[in-house]
Amino acid sequence: MPLLSNAQKYDLVKIMNDHIPHATLLGIQVESVHEEELTLKLPYQAALVGDSKAGTLHGGAITLLLDQTLGMATVCSDASKPAVTPTLDLRVDHLGVAPAGMSIFASARVYKATRKILFVEGVAYCESKDSPIARATGSWVRVADVDLSWLAPADRKAV
Amino acid sequence: MSMPDEGPEKTSLDALDRWLRQVPYAAFLGINAELRESDVIFTLPSNRKFIGNPSLPAIHGGVIGGFMEQAAALHLIANMANPALPKIINFSLDYLRPALLHDTYAHCVLSRKGRFISNVTITAWQEDSGQPNAIARAHFLTSENN
Repeated sequence: MPLLSNAQKYDLVKIMNDHIPHATLLGIQVESVHEEELTLKLPYQAALVGDSKAGTLHGGAITLLLDQTLGMATVCSDASKPAVTPTLDLRVDHLGVAPAGMSIFASARVYKATRKILFVEGVAYCESKDSPIARATGSWVRVADVDLSWLAPADRKAV
Repeated sequence: MSMPDEGPEKTSLDALDRWLRQVPYAAFLGINAELRESDVIFTLPSNRKFIGNPSLPAIHGGVIGGFMEQAAALHLIANMANPALPKIINFSLDYLRPALLHDTYAHCVLSRKGRFISNVTITAWQEDSGQPNAIARAHFLTSENN
């Protein structure tokens, strides 16, 4: 039995996401939570373009979305209690470029949780997760448990 | 700390500024480049819009990553005879300390410049260059029009 239901995880990541001023500024939204997998969405915007001729997004914007998605996916893991988890490291492989004008999605999940370290992997994509534009792996450090007493009961309808 | 024949003097600061203005994300971050002794130092000016953790407050780690990647690309451009926008292949970032709401600096070393592939290492710090906030490596694909 997972520690948190999908609906509780959704509430938790939505609150976290909406409390990150830079994420709010860029319009990063929680797209979905399915079991241990979190998906965030970054809307296309001119300020994040790297190649102005092609109109494609800067690699740094992809790194930013992946950093946030992998980092927030730590609280969706069923293998450890949600915790405050600063990033230890992040590695991004750029497999392609996002076509101009398209929103970017990133999906991530914890693939191994130890007492102290959460190992996370994820992809960024436009149309399908099966054709990613970037793949990331990283590790996050558990430093303190998150207070979950405010969350709605687990029997709420799943999102 | 640049390599003897590949110093940043090949591309002037004015040229770097023009490149910075051509890249919308670099302009959004407000990155600028300056010469300190013979090294180019990139600056990410402190701005509340970069806050990732409002309780510290700290700059979003992804912003630091994006800044370092852009600094690496510009450092590479500065070392190209016929500058062209490099394509990022991969980026590996170690976070050492949270970046607080101060100006952040980056210094890059062109570890290898090949015909097609280049490797750049990047160090970012705030108040003390001996206490870096993050270190990173980037590989770029270049297609110089020689």
